[in-house]
Formats: sequence, C-alpha cells, structure tokens
Amino acid sequence: MSLLQRDREIIVANQYVDNFDFAEVEEFIKNANKELFISHKFKTHKDKTLVQPRGGFPTFDKMYSLYEQFAPVVDILPMTIDSHTRLNDYGSAAKMLRLSEETETDLLNGYPLINHGYRTTRKMVTHFNTPVSLRHGTPDARLLVEMAIASGVFEIEGGPITYILPYSKNFPQDKAFLYWKHVERVCAQYSTLNEPINRESFGPLTATLVPPCITIVIQICEMLLSLEEGVKSFSVSFAQTGSLNQDLVTSKVLRKAANKYAEKIGVTDATINLVYHQWMGAFPRDKFKSDSLIDIGAMIAGMVKADKIITKTRAEAFGIPTKEDNAQAVSNVQYTLNALRGIPTFVDEEEEENLSREVDEIFEAIFNDSADTLWRKVFNSIKNGIIDVPFSPHIINNNELITVRDKNSNIRIYKKGKLPLSDKSFKYEQSKIDLGENPNSVVNQIIHDIGVML
Amino acid sequence: MSKMLIDVGSTYFKVCDEGSISHHFRNFDKDIYDDLLFKCGDDIKKHKKEEIQICSSANGGLSTLIIGLTESFSLKYASNIAYNSGINIIETVVYSQIESYAIPSENLDVVIVVGGIDSVETVFDKTLINYLEKLTYSNIVYVGSSTQVEFLEKNIEKLVVLPNIIDNKLKMVENELKEYLTNLYQADIMGKEDIKRLYELTSNQIYSTPYIVNQSLPFIHTKLDVADPFIVIDIGGATTDIHYSKDLVDDNIITDNEYDRLVFKKLGVYKSRESLVHTAKNNEFVYELLAHLNTTENMLDSKEEKATKLLMQLSIFLVLYKISHHHKSYLNIKLDTLNSIVLTGGITKVLDNAEMEDIISFFYKKLLHFNITPTLVVDKDYEIWTLGMSR
Repeated sequence: MSLLQRDREIIVANQYVDNFDFAEVEEFIKNANKELFISHKFKTHKDKTLVQPRGGFPTFDKMYSLYEQFAPVVDILPMTIDSHTRLNDYGSAAKMLRLSEETETDLLNGYPLINHGYRTTRKMVTHFNTPVSLRHGTPDARLLVEMAIASGVFEIEGGPITYILPYSKNFPQDKAFLYWKHVERVCAQYSTLNEPINRESFGPLTATLVPPCITIVIQICEMLLSLEEGVKSFSVSFAQTGSLNQDLVTSKVLRKAANKYAEKIGVTDATINLVYHQWMGAFPRDKFKSDSLIDIGAMIAGMVKADKIITKTRAEAFGIPTKEDNAQAVSNVQYTLNALRGIPTFVDEEEEENLSREVDEIFEAIFNDSADTLWRKVFNSIKNGIIDVPFSPHIINNNELITVRDKNSNIRIYKKGKLPLSDKSFKYEQSKIDLGENPNSVVNQIIHDIGVML
Repeated sequence: MSKMLIDVGSTYFKVCDEGSISHHFRNFDKDIYDDLLFKCGDDIKKHKKEEIQICSSANGGLSTLIIGLTESFSLKYASNIAYNSGINIIETVVYSQIESYAIPSENLDVVIVVGGIDSVETVFDKTLINYLEKLTYSNIVYVGSSTQVEFLEKNIEKLVVLPNIIDNKLKMVENELKEYLTNLYQADIMGKEDIKRLYELTSNQIYSTPYIVNQSLPFIHTKLDVADPFIVIDIGGATTDIHYSKDLVDDNIITDNEYDRLVFKKLGVYKSRESLVHTAKNNEFVYELLAHLNTTENMLDSKEEKATKLLMQLSIFLVLYKISHHHKSYLNIKLDTLNSIVLTGGITKVLDNAEMEDIISFFYKKLLHFNITPTLVVDKDYEIWTLGMSR
C-alpha cells in the first residue's frame, strides 16, 4: 500500500465518518456522468463564461431546495461549507446541525458535509447532474475533500496560501502546505479515472487593496504546487479590483504568466482556466449601487473572457443572501453576459509590461530560495516577506506592504516592505500615487480606499 | 561506515548496532561509562570513535524558572523555546504577581527573564531584584525589552543579555535563546563527570534524546504507519515527553519546527513514581479507570510488578488528560482532531498493544465521547530514535 493510501485510510477512520468505502467511491467516479465534471463543462462551453453563485445551508432539505432554485439558471452549483467543519470541529457542526433541524433555523453558515456524509450528499448532487464546486476555507481539508469527491463534487477550491493567509491567524503555514500536497495527490489520482477533478485557487485573498502582482504570484504558486502533484485541470482566479483597467491588465498577465510558469516546471498538458470574482470588498448598502457594481463585474468578466464568474448579490451588505436573492443575481449576470457577447477588450501595454516585470521579479526571488522543494521555497518566501498580503490576519505574514489607490482607482504599492521589486518597478508604482499636499494622509487614504465602493 | 547508536536513558541503555537494537537495564551502582563498557564493551570496540553516535537524557536535563510579563507572550514564548531546547521548566512567574509565588527550594540551572517589546520602558524594578536574591541559580539570561538592559545589568551579577525574543510585531525570535540553552545543556553534560567520559567513546557531539526524537518527526511516516496530525508520547523512567504537531494547538507562535515539545517532569514511572501516584489519586476520572481495569487504588501503593504496569497505564491516561481541554495548562492539544498517537519509550517494553489501546479508548469514550480513537502506533523498536540518530 502506498504511503498516500495508508494516510487516507487513517484519515477517513474518523468518529464522524460512516464506513468510507474507497473501492465503491472509485467505482462511482469511474462511472460518474461527465456533466458532473466542471473540467468537462469548461471543455464543452469554451465560448461561455460559466456562472456560479455562492451558497450553503446546514440542513439537507434547505440545501436541496437551494439547488432546486439554482439549477435552471446556474452553470455550476456551489457547496459552501460551515465554519466548524472548516476548522475540523465536526462535533460542534453535528450539534448545530441537529439544532438547525429541530428548530428549523440556520445555526450554521454552510453545509456540514462530513456530518451529512457522502452517501446522502451524493444523492443530491447526482440528482441535479450539474457540476458542484466546493467552497470552504479549510487549512486541513484532507477529510473534507475525500468526502466531497465521494459525493460527486468534482471541483475543489482552496490552497495552502489562499486558505491560510486571509482566513487564519495561526494555523501553521508549513503544515498547510503538506496537507494541501495530500489533497493535490488525491485529486490527481482521481483525475485518472474519468474527467479531471478541477482545482481552483482563491484569488481574492483578503479582498482589501491586494496589489495584482501579489494576487498573480500566489495564484501561480498554488497552481504550480498542484500541477507538480499531477493535477490536470486548474483554475486561477482574481477578484474585481475596483479598476476596470487594472482588471483587464491583471487577467492578461495572469493568463500569460500561468502558462509560462507551468511550462517552466515542465507541465504542458494541463488545462488552466481563469475565474473572476465579482467585487469581494465592502459592499454598498444602497441596493441600486450594488446592482450597478454587480453589473460592472459581469461586464468585466465578459471583457476578460473569464471561463467562470462567481457572483455576488445585492443583499451582500446585509448578511447571508436568500436563495431568491442569489437566483436573481445569477439571472441578471447571465443576462448581462449574453448581452455583451463579443465585447472587445483592450490592454494598457505600459501597465501590462510593469505588472509582468513585477511578477517575474518576485518569482525570481522565490525560485532563488535555497530550499530543495517548491513548497518550502514558497513557505520561506512568505516568512521572509517576499510574498506579503495586505491585511492578512496570519502571524506569519510580513505586513509591511502598504497599498493605496491612484486617481483612477488602480491599487498601487506605496511601501514595498520586503517585496523584491526593482527600482524601475517600484518607481513606476510610486509615480502613479498622488496623496495631495499632505503625504501624512496615507492612513486616511487607505480608509477611503477600503470603502471605495460604498 | 556502519554506525553504532547509543541512547543513555535514566533507566536503560539502548544500543543499535548494525540495525539490531538491544536494551540494558542500568546498574546505578556503577558510573554510566563503566556500566556501558561492561555491558556493550565488545561491540563498542568494533567501531571507530566517529562511527559512534550517543544521545542522552540521563543527566536529567536542565531546570529553569521563567519570569515574564504576560502569560500570552513572554511566558508562552520563553516556555516554548525552553521546551524545544530540551529544558525542564520548574516554574513560570507572572511578574505582576511575583511576590505571591513560593520560592523554589531546588538549585535552578538557569533563570530566564523576559518581557516587553523593545519600545516598552519601565518594565522591571527592585521587586525583581529582591525575588532573584532569594533564588539559587547557576545562570541567568535576559531576553526582554532592550530598554531594561542597563538597569538589570547594574543590579544582577553575571547576567547574560540576548536579543529580545519578542519582536515589534509580537512575533517570536527564538534562535539566540535556543542556542544559548542548547549550549548550556552541552556544558551541563561536560560538567557531569560520568557523561563527560562518554566523549572517550565518540568523536561526535552528544545530543539530548528529546532533541533527537523531535528532529526525526517530519520523517516518521517513512518508518511508521502514522498520519498527521499526530502526537508522540514518550513515557520514560523519569519524565514524559510529548511531541505534537503544531496545528494541534491554537498559539500565536511561529517556530521553525513542525513539531513542538512539552515535558511532564513528574509523570515518570520509576524516578517520579510518588508524584505520579499523587497525581493519579487526585484525578476525578482515575477511580472510574481503575474500576474499568478491574482494580482498586490500593494497587497504586503496591510494589508488585503488576503495580508498575498499572502506573504505566495511568500515566498514559494522565498525560492525555493534562494536554486535553479538561485541564487548563501551558497548552491544550486538540485531541479530537488527532489522526494518530505514537507511544514510545520504556512503556512499550512493559505494556502490550491491547493494554495501551484500552486506556486510549477509555479516555476518548469517557472524556471526549468518541467511539473511534486515533490509530495507535507503538514504537517498540525505537524506530523514531533510530531515525533521528541516523539522520
């Protein structure tokens, strides 16, 4: 038995898992309908931006009813997991699920997949016969991913950086790399049975003034870590930055750099997709402004020819949206995307050149780290501040990178911390910043920029 | 080049020669060097000095008392560094309540004083000096706010000053203090005549056994069927060491190790038997455990071999209890997310797998209400130690 399989058998021997049957799961995946695989849908819908909302409810009935509402209008169904499960606290999730069922109140902020079990969940997933995407935020997702794939969920979001730095305060980053390496191997192994399991990175990060070079570098790092374990379908992603121009430039540089660095590690047979998240920052409370913001997001997704868009709703500022809010948002986005078919795109070449150079400069430093494995090079780069995510709560993050918006709402690097940017790149960033007469007003500027869409 | 690996424990010598491991109960009437030569002299002579690797826990490790400003930063950081350097902590003292602490009677190998980031002023005053005057210690090191150095150097003799272990972002800076404590450990070995003589057998550095065990853990899966996150419980004659995967604790600490260490000085079955019995008798669950094992508390005071077996079972239970959320301590380990428990040390020579499994299963059922327990891996052949020594 391989070390991977031995680990998997120990992991599924869990108090909250009812007899995990590897052979049966393998048989299920071999014979699963191709319509359940988003990797297949990407292939067969090349000219369409697939639309995926967000959503997850604690009880099976509510989740089922959410999918009933979504199924006619969405291309991909979401399965958002609750916070207890994300922290591997299946005991608390079980209690809250029981209470949710008894009181008919949602006491969890997502679907507790481990507690429902894969046999039950699979019935729902196969019934709708639409790809389902697992959205979670789990640092140690090894068990969750086993259960998801066994349920027929063939897209797994997350990664060792994007599910740690924005979400966690002190989960050990090195352990996260090792746990996600396990996840990648499981996904790679299952990908040989039918259509590939698609892995997706979480590009929005903290969704707060993250400069595009950081987003791109992290996306590509997670992609490389995934591809080197044998994953054949991967989605890089980023979120609406608040600047149309910057979004167009980001998408172009991200696509190019993803292919370039995949080739650099010798991978040429993997499909790389682009996913666009509608605005992930602070949302306006005025629902008409929200509608407008969502429409702009849909338009940009069309312009960047995203393979998938993940939507928001006009209720974002007020809490978890209802299934009706979600269905309406999806329907509007589908309408806008249809109306914008064939929309031309353009790219600011000067911006593209600068962003590409920044990405290459950071990668040069990562690859020059003396560690013998890619994950450790990336880990060391996070520790050393070569990768620095603004507003990350995690103790390992360097937190010296400071960004503000320029007059056109582009995110610019005000202080580079330990980012290994050349003078040329940094001067370019600085040349775009105008803090007015009072250079001490940077804090006010940042506060303003965080709420730029309010 | 074939290596010979030797571990000098508090009760056993463990010797690995050409892949085969043997144990020798120590004769406490002889010094370590003579005893080792008497028992393994012929094998040792077959090897050159550079082929012999020795580690030891027999000098008992160093003892420390830590004085810090806060539980959440200075004491926690200093404790973590001390444990990972193989040092045993006698007491941690919160400075604001320093006058309420009893003065330890024993001679401390080192006192660690810590507190504040470098910009913090007026941290320590005469109260600290008064307290230190009542202690008996061999070394004292300051790793706190740099603003306090002048005052402390003026008032404390032979004070060693190292960089602050808390940086301005409240992150831990461990290297200098760790190196200092590790060097003290070496100096301690050199100061103990019978261990010092072991350098006549080897030209390699003698490390502390817990350090060796800790270094091997990232590679443990190559030898044992273990899945992360796991803990290693090393129950020996004098102390019990826990090595735990860092994601099992909620701590604001970044260290370079994937696994941290914690020591219970008073849960050993031979050298700290009395305190083990005392701890057991004061534990609210132990009587149910005794009933489960079909015995009574009278057995705890018995000198029979059966009693030693029982004490070993109790020490497994008490260790799990002390690191669980049922017991507030330096840290609590998330036992509900554990995938594997590895047992090693002298205990594996006395208890069989079923006896160990029984205790773990009792603990999980009784305290966590779990029917399924983490997989138990028993390192009977000291694979972890061999792995660490070989690397």
